[in-house]
Amino acid sequence: MKNLSMFMSFSLAIFVLMACDPEPEEEPQLPLVAEMVEDLSAPNDVIDRSTGQVLEEKPFQYYSLSENRVTTEDESWDVAFKGTTIRANAAKNVSAALVDGVFQQIKEIPETATFAMDTETTLAIPTGSGNGWYSYNPTTHAIKPIPGKVILLQTSSGNYAKVEILSYYKGNPSDEELDPLTAEGATYTFQYVLQPNGTTKFE
Amino acid sequence: MIRINLIKLNMMILFLLYPLIGHGLERDKIIVNNKGIPLSQAMVQVDKYPPVVAGSSGEVHMAQLNSGDSVLVFALGYESRHLSWDEWEKAEVIVLKEKEGELNEVVVSATRTDRTIEDLPMPVTVIGNQAIQETGAVRLSEVLSEHTGLQIVSNHGTGLQMQGLDTDYILILLDGEPLIGRTAGTFDLNRISVSNIEKIEILKGPASAIYGSEAMAGVVNIITKSGGQGKKIDLGMRQRSLNTWNPYLDFGLREKNWNIDVLYDYYKTDGYDLSPEVTGYTQNPYSSHSGQVKLGAKLGTGLSFNLFLRGYTEEASGVLEVIENSGTELLDVTDQRDEININPTLRYKPNNAWLFTLRNMSSVFTTNSLSKYQEEGTVFDIQDFRQFYQRTELQTDYQFDKKQLISLGLGFSGESVEATRYDDKNHFDATYFYLQHQWDPSDKVNIVTGARGDFHSVYGNRLSPKLSGQYRFSDKFSWQVSIGSGFKAPDFRQLLLNFNNASAGYYVFGAKLAEDGLADLEAKGLVARRLIQPENLGELQAEHSWAINTGVRWKPVTSLLIKANLFRNDLQNMIETAPIAQLVSGQNAFSYFNISRVVTQGLDLDVSFKYNDNFSVSAGYAFLDTRDLDVMDQIAKGNMFKKDANNQTVRLSKADYGGLFNRSKHSGNLKVNYLENRTGINWALRLICRGQFGFSDLNGNLILDDEAEYAPGWYTINLTSTKSFSNGIFLEAGVNNLLDKTSITQPNMPGRLLFVGIKIPLLNL
Repeated sequence: MKNLSMFMSFSLAIFVLMACDPEPEEEPQLPLVAEMVEDLSAPNDVIDRSTGQVLEEKPFQYYSLSENRVTTEDESWDVAFKGTTIRANAAKNVSAALVDGVFQQIKEIPETATFAMDTETTLAIPTGSGNGWYSYNPTTHAIKPIPGKVILLQTSSGNYAKVEILSYYKGNPSDEELDPLTAEGATYTFQYVLQPNGTTKFE
Repeated sequence: MIRINLIKLNMMILFLLYPLIGHGLERDKIIVNNKGIPLSQAMVQVDKYPPVVAGSSGEVHMAQLNSGDSVLVFALGYESRHLSWDEWEKAEVIVLKEKEGELNEVVVSATRTDRTIEDLPMPVTVIGNQAIQETGAVRLSEVLSEHTGLQIVSNHGTGLQMQGLDTDYILILLDGEPLIGRTAGTFDLNRISVSNIEKIEILKGPASAIYGSEAMAGVVNIITKSGGQGKKIDLGMRQRSLNTWNPYLDFGLREKNWNIDVLYDYYKTDGYDLSPEVTGYTQNPYSSHSGQVKLGAKLGTGLSFNLFLRGYTEEASGVLEVIENSGTELLDVTDQRDEININPTLRYKPNNAWLFTLRNMSSVFTTNSLSKYQEEGTVFDIQDFRQFYQRTELQTDYQFDKKQLISLGLGFSGESVEATRYDDKNHFDATYFYLQHQWDPSDKVNIVTGARGDFHSVYGNRLSPKLSGQYRFSDKFSWQVSIGSGFKAPDFRQLLLNFNNASAGYYVFGAKLAEDGLADLEAKGLVARRLIQPENLGELQAEHSWAINTGVRWKPVTSLLIKANLFRNDLQNMIETAPIAQLVSGQNAFSYFNISRVVTQGLDLDVSFKYNDNFSVSAGYAFLDTRDLDVMDQIAKGNMFKKDANNQTVRLSKADYGGLFNRSKHSGNLKVNYLENRTGINWALRLICRGQFGFSDLNGNLILDDEAEYAPGWYTINLTSTKSFSNGIFLEAGVNNLLDKTSITQPNMPGRLLFVGIKIPLLNL
């Protein structure tokens, strides 16, 4: 065990050293790897079911793709989650588009993608069942990401990213495992690829 | 032989039968059937002279006849008899034997005139009294579930599916008049008691050319009992598992110029629960009373009056769980449903060529749903719904010549709805006409042409044509083709709903209210963004279809009948909800639009074999293929996806698409009937199956495309034994769902049901 962790620390050190290499032309063209974010909990506001009034407001969960971590609202975040709502950081000029396709097969930003920014009243990633990234099944009460919906983002630094929501439930359960009535919802699992070099290509 | 025949029309209704003996003047003949009932519709033809029609008590005056060599006595639905003149002169009573076999059943709903199935160029099935008895059924859904190409679907009640189309598109008639009262489109078949059904006519394929809206997939016409002679009082009681009781009283009285039939039926059941881990029953306990009165009177020569009255009341109770801020709360729910039908009919038949029928129907259907907190007893919610429907119609039938019958109908209808979820009392008016031409150009050919125009105050005008033809290659083999258009008017919900789901925060507006509703939300500052331009709101067209049905009826030998029908329905303008505005809450407001296109196609095949009077077998098979054309387009464009076993997205191919949910590609039935001579017990064993069907979307693309989204196939075995005694007492005992199978994917199927029943004809004892 000790050996293993030593090996890992060593690898990490090498990696960090390589990343800090001051000579860019020496940088090897590492293939872009999809980052997986698991079980990001973003509970919705508590709503009075009879009146629709918000009883307890919950915070958005802010996420930075370049840093691959949850941040605060004041930091440089790209997307934020609460319930089924996904915001893009308009304050930092983050814009988003929703396209159809297989995540891995999207090799570049399609010309047809129309990027938009959140405004006071509209969201770049639409909410509502069947409108945006998810569908709600009134029979099973399951909220499922619509297969093939890929969110494209242009971050504040101008880099492009593609994001696919994989699950709305804790533990990313399979269709068979999921019991929407007991599973913990508003818990995101998603994958993304960020192209840090400013091009529209993901290769 | 005259197949199109107006003459019997009013007689069938009147059936003013008085005792045979002592009637008929000297030298008059009386024509009766094998039960001794006079055949008022019988005809007598001497040589090639024009036929003479029997009077209302089956009598034929000798004075009416030319003398000749041979005499032909015939009546619709009966075997014809050839007599020599001598035999005819000697006879006092001529008995006609009822034709056997389904093809000789008289059907009224297909053309709104009486015709036997063998003369109808469209697919028709009749479920007779015997077949109904053999199912041991107490509610209509149980009878229909055993027939080829029909599926029972549970969604806001027990509905029917026919040719792959849902219950919204099937018109339900009771004695020829439409029944109203649907919940979310479903007509609940459990509202109809079986105890006094004489037969059920099932017409497949669109019949909007006569009936207008709703008759898109087909028509089910329930014909209640009337007839018999003199007086009858039948007392019946049926008892079955789940503490289900169904006593009924059937009274009939026939006098020379009038007749009356009265039915009272009570039904009570404890219900059942297929998923005990969830609060609430699958079928709540309920009880219902139905009462029905049919009155017929002969007012004068050729003039008759009929009155149909029906009342139904039902009360169900159950428990519901709601999630409140403080946690889950239990609610006691009481659902009340009431229905009243008043249908008077006046018929005037001045001569053999003309028949005028003036029909009126008025119906009221109300529901009330009250839910209270179980602990505090305070009211959680009250929902009221009241629908009123009124229609007046004049049908004129004109027998142009022996081979042509023309029918013209003119009508006016009004409908109004008051409901908690609608703003005001809302009213629709419609006028309509229908024109139908039945023509037998030769013995081998029948043609029925028809069209109906509907002029509606809210959704506009519609013309629905239909053309059907039959060619008889021989007595044994005939071929039918029918092409027609069907439509379904937008209902009140789709036009006028004003619904706000407070807990989820969304709104649904009927098309007519969408603009006002949005303006209202905008004024409150709730709208973030309109998704639809105002000019595109509010216009909702009728859903409409084109359909083709083509089939054969083949009787290779007398004991064997094969019926097959191929169909295809192309539906357009199907109404669905779509978002009209994004709200600041992130939720949406919805309204109804004509968006989707659907195709259903398939085959119904029935084979019945009667080995002898004691033993018969029948088998049915239905193939069904359905698809949403917009989904097909999306797949073709490469815009539909699914997740594979590793939760990775993959593109869908057309082969992945399973069509519409809740449709079995394959279904069928097998029935064996055996009459055991020694005991006189009639055994009916039935196997009913349906193949796997799409149950629910699981992978989020909202279409049926994954193995896990199918419910497994299903079968049930039912066995009934019946015995009729010579004094008319009827006993039944049996078991439905013999193997005690249950599944939450078959919510209309409780486990094994044992039943016994008795019917006592009090006046026969």
